[in-house]
Amino acid sequence: MLRNRLFFVMGLLVVASMILSACGTPAPVATEAPAVEQPVATEAPVPTEAPVTPTSFTTPHPILGDLKVRQALSYCTNKADLIKSVYPLVNEETQANLIMNTFIPTSHWAYAGDENVTIYPFDAAKGAALLDEAGWTLAEGASFRTNAAGDELALKFTTTSAAFRQTWAAIWEAQMAECGVRVVRLHAPASWWFGDTTGIARRDYELGAFAWVGQADPGGQTLYACDQIPLPENGWVGQNAMGWCNELASTNIKLANNTLIKDERIAAYTIVQQEFTKDIPSIPLFNRTETFAAAADLSGFQPVPGQEYYNYNIQDWEKAGSDTIVIGFTQEPASLFTLVEDAFVANIAYQIVRPAQEVHLNYDFKATLVKDLPTIENGGTTNNDVEVAEGTKVMDADGNVVDLAAGVFVMNAAGEKVEFTGGTITMKQMVSRFDLIDGLKWEDGTPVTGADLELGKKISCDPESGATSFITCDKTASTEFSDNGYTQTWIPGVQDPLYFLPVWAIFPAHQLGDLAAKDWATDPRVAETPLSYGPYKLVEWVKGEKLVFAANENWVGTPAKSPNLVIQIITPESAEALLLGGEIDILDSTSLAGLSETLAAAEAEGKIKTFVEAGGTWEHIDIQLFTR
Amino acid sequence: MTAYLIRRVLQSILVVFISAVASYVLLSFAPGGPLSGLRQIQQSGRFRITEEDIARIRASFELDLNLPVRFGRWLIGVPRGPLVIGGKEYFAEMVVGCRRPVEAEVTNSRGVVEIVTVGCKEDVLLKDLVGRRTSRGVLLGDFGLSWRLLRDRPVSDLIESRIPKTLQLIGLETLLSLIIGIPLGIYSAVRQYSRFDYIFTTLAFMGSAMPSFFFGLLFILLFSILPKNAGLAYIPAGLSESVRNYTIPLIGEVIAGSFKDRALHMILPVAVLTILNVAGWSRYIRASMLDVLRQDYVRTARAKGLGQKMVILKHALRNALIPFITIVVFTIPGLFSGAIITESIFAWPGMGRLYILALGDYDYPVAMALFFILSVLTVIATLLRDVLYTIADPRIRLH
Repeated sequence: MLRNRLFFVMGLLVVASMILSACGTPAPVATEAPAVEQPVATEAPVPTEAPVTPTSFTTPHPILGDLKVRQALSYCTNKADLIKSVYPLVNEETQANLIMNTFIPTSHWAYAGDENVTIYPFDAAKGAALLDEAGWTLAEGASFRTNAAGDELALKFTTTSAAFRQTWAAIWEAQMAECGVRVVRLHAPASWWFGDTTGIARRDYELGAFAWVGQADPGGQTLYACDQIPLPENGWVGQNAMGWCNELASTNIKLANNTLIKDERIAAYTIVQQEFTKDIPSIPLFNRTETFAAAADLSGFQPVPGQEYYNYNIQDWEKAGSDTIVIGFTQEPASLFTLVEDAFVANIAYQIVRPAQEVHLNYDFKATLVKDLPTIENGGTTNNDVEVAEGTKVMDADGNVVDLAAGVFVMNAAGEKVEFTGGTITMKQMVSRFDLIDGLKWEDGTPVTGADLELGKKISCDPESGATSFITCDKTASTEFSDNGYTQTWIPGVQDPLYFLPVWAIFPAHQLGDLAAKDWATDPRVAETPLSYGPYKLVEWVKGEKLVFAANENWVGTPAKSPNLVIQIITPESAEALLLGGEIDILDSTSLAGLSETLAAAEAEGKIKTFVEAGGTWEHIDIQLFTR
Repeated sequence: MTAYLIRRVLQSILVVFISAVASYVLLSFAPGGPLSGLRQIQQSGRFRITEEDIARIRASFELDLNLPVRFGRWLIGVPRGPLVIGGKEYFAEMVVGCRRPVEAEVTNSRGVVEIVTVGCKEDVLLKDLVGRRTSRGVLLGDFGLSWRLLRDRPVSDLIESRIPKTLQLIGLETLLSLIIGIPLGIYSAVRQYSRFDYIFTTLAFMGSAMPSFFFGLLFILLFSILPKNAGLAYIPAGLSESVRNYTIPLIGEVIAGSFKDRALHMILPVAVLTILNVAGWSRYIRASMLDVLRQDYVRTARAKGLGQKMVILKHALRNALIPFITIVVFTIPGLFSGAIITESIFAWPGMGRLYILALGDYDYPVAMALFFILSVLTVIATLLRDVLYTIADPRIRLH
């Protein structure tokens, strides 16, 4: 009786709440937003079609607009000391490798080379001389420089309040003071500095420090092209918040991002880096490190810069005197269905059973599970001229997938941005052929075939699967699957420089072919015990504790040297103690904030090995070239 | 008594309901969540997310539904669609949410530009809920699916995976604390100002003052790392069991996953928690006993010639325990919630750590489940405390 009454009352409450909520829901808006305080935009910003004529941010910054001042700031910056302040335990050779000269790491395939860029080695005297030339002189007895009008050379420096940045920013402030430049530091909350409508997004700084994440493909178009300068007039679209517009650099960064020939890309990136270091819209400082630690008796473990997933060679790992290797994870994977869960730890665990089809060692690409990466140079990809008529799905000049119609801007076959006015237009269309290596099998012995790739495409492109983005599916005109691979045809206009990378994931059609897409995220065969075609198979996942793997006897590659592998879930607080105590063998960069004194001491005693690599993330100081 | 219990149970249900509403609303307004970061991704070239993608993601997390509707579905699994009576649908067109909100940048009174929802381009109607996945409601024990920690799989799986370890840890620690703490407190009170009392009071004070992470790290250093480096017998530094077999001097080979292995791994975290609890509880018992021992009826009992043991255990302790009951019963929710810091230090896979992860990763279904279960256990503990009062002190009557 009581239970019935309770449910009745609950039911009433829910119905009442629904009525209340219905009353409170804003009415649908057809044309304009209701009158609120200064509405600016009603939609997520998208790149504009027509060039923007700026009416704001047109006045060069009174101090930083002068190239001599920017050069002086560069000469006065002692990058080695900045690195030492945040990575004091790292050896000098590694510290030197962290220094950035341009926006591309020195070990990257797209780096222009020291001889092709302007390098600003630390030289305070040269910096001081340049400031003198720029009219900023140091009066006798004064600490900071002034100009003829008596204005002090003071610059506002904005960055986050992270301890890491506070540390090197304090050193940089002192370095600038040595040159007579007063730096006024503002350590703002990250939520403001990186906010959608504040900080960098609104160009609200003079000198601003933050980090970019470098990748095997350097990108850069949204950072350095002239039409990517965020302005009130274009809805603040673009990431070139410095306001740097160098026509030669702008043209070449676009070329580098859109041409498909690697040599052409390298040449274009070289020009951009030359101009970048000449104009100095930003002072590149240093790569952040990625630190790994491993038991001294573990062999084969070798993280490589540019290769995000350090387990690329897991089959070669071996621990002396033990049949089990234990990796410590301070974060448990949420799911091994990486289409919906893309966390780093999930990918590491997933790639133990299903290795990637290519690796990015030293920022370069190498095929692993496909016979070759199909480039235009090796004939694996053709870039054909095709006649495209109205209504055809194409990629427009801004990278959006649209149906071709009058008024749409596209890149024609000659690489020119043109407006489609009707009839037909000749565009480029890429076709690539991907072939799996021979002998690839699932752990149950079933061969991996084109059907598995076809399932990969089907699930990746089904919104019911829970996948987040479908841009790859939208860009695909057709895919023809064969026994051992597929031919991928992109829609006209797709000219992605990474066209040669495998497109579709491999899923076991013989096991999951009948599983509805909506059930994939929740099915344990997908999320918890994916069938392996890699060096190890997943035996057991004890939630909150460990994932247990065993060598996969059906792996086509070199057999795993260690018969067993375990991912042990640990906590950040316990990580070092467990490594030193021998409970785990490997700690990766997600578990280690850096090289600690404890680890350095243990390495000196020969108990462990540490690996400090230049990570992809790099610190820099952006310079605001214009004022509002 | 029966009427009292019924009344209290009903009150407790109301309290649980109110706390569920409060915590659900608070979490709903907390910053972060599964949609944070999508705006940045939306502008990125290679991984572009469309407005439709965002609408779909909002729907999969039910963020497109109005708060009361979401709460109803979370609590009792309704509404799941229009009300159907006699084959006829009612309220099918009722608006229950917004699939595509209209957002605008506005400058608020502080001059800060922020993005706010100013309207709705596409409503969610009650009939749209038909076929959407939903839980049966927490009242029926279905806590829904995890957003982050165990993505798209049942929250109950997560909780079930952690509960046994937490019960082992906290249960043993509580038991040991009671067995050690109560006699220590009594003895110290009875021997007030003795050498033992001074030493005990000093140690208990230190134990209460020291944070658990300090004890944890100290113990790892003293009983694990240093003796192991010196080739002496040691205790494993963390985890609930080992992955590999190992050998400890004096103890010999320990098989990974064996009872011996698990027992060894429990020593340090249990020791830390027990020391902290013993320090606090024994001081409490001591103070309470000292109060009671000064009472007239104790003096009378002694004057009547009763033995010290009888006076202490029968007359004094029973009354001294009344305030202590309050502390002890509230270990019941503690059995469930675990020990956040100690679990972190020793990498113990328990509930305390789950709490932190759920809040840190914006896994609100998990956090809500934990809040809800804790509020239920707290209410039960309160009720139990009142009942235990009547047992400890017959003068107390519940009406």
